[in-house]
Amino acid sequence: MSGRRSRQSSGSCSSSRITDDQIIELVSKLHQLLPEIRNTTRRSNKASADKVLQETCNYIRNLHKEMDDLSARLSQLLSTVDTDSPEAAIIRTLI
Amino acid sequence: MKERMPNSSALMKQEFLKKWIKGLQIYSSFKKEMTIFERKKAIKLSADVAIASTRNASTHWSRALMSDVSTDDANHAAKIVVAQISGRKVEKYSSSKGLMMTCSNKILRRSRVASRCRRTRGVGTSVKARSIARKVVKNRTRVLKSLVPGGQEMDGVCLIKETLDYIASLRVQVDVMRHLAAAAERLDPPQRSIL
Repeated sequence: MSGRRSRQSSGSCSSSRITDDQIIELVSKLHQLLPEIRNTTRRSNKASADKVLQETCNYIRNLHKEMDDLSARLSQLLSTVDTDSPEAAIIRTLI
Repeated sequence: MKERMPNSSALMKQEFLKKWIKGLQIYSSFKKEMTIFERKKAIKLSADVAIASTRNASTHWSRALMSDVSTDDANHAAKIVVAQISGRKVEKYSSSKGLMMTCSNKILRRSRVASRCRRTRGVGTSVKARSIARKVVKNRTRVLKSLVPGGQEMDGVCLIKETLDYIASLRVQVDVMRHLAAAAERLDPPQRSIL
């Protein structure tokens, strides 16, 4: 990792609380969270960082859209947004 | 930021569902008859508030989301929903900007020096390609910031951590809603409006 050489950078308290390794670890966690990209091989850090970010944005957008669609669907299915407690109780057991 | 255990996702779903239903009840107490559009808004907003409150204000995105909802003056019901579900008064979202700026400056400084070092080694890595790559990453980061609530004020590590948490929460939210939609379809004869 080229990051090692850069320790000299912060003249301030190199608290290195935020190390390059941490960043890489977080990016790889993101990587794992995204379904589509899991099988892609990483060629270089830079390339994968960009890809990961792109997939992340797409994924979040898809989730937002799905949320929107589900809200629309639910607003049709539930004639009122009132208690519907027998339904709610049943659904709680389904989850 | 707390690490989430995989087996707590079921608990999260239950908590989300409970809060979501509570929000819907508050809404319906405000307005008995709603148009489909209003209902959709109520469903969506209650869901957002519910999922945000499961984080108990421990993440920036959840705080930002709650703050956005409760500072929307046009929507009184929403404010009540937020107050009731979060159990506290939600102030205008203000991140600890100072701390996060330090975050980002360190990372920027480090990456600048790192890039200078990278340039001196490695045959075939063109400087131009590197700077283009950096620009692309920067643009993508900007997009990501616009997608995560409160993202504009985060940088570097904070952004990625928040994104991880936000995505996990979104998945819970979508999952529960999907189940509810499927169950509602099965339990009720579909009540489709002509609208």
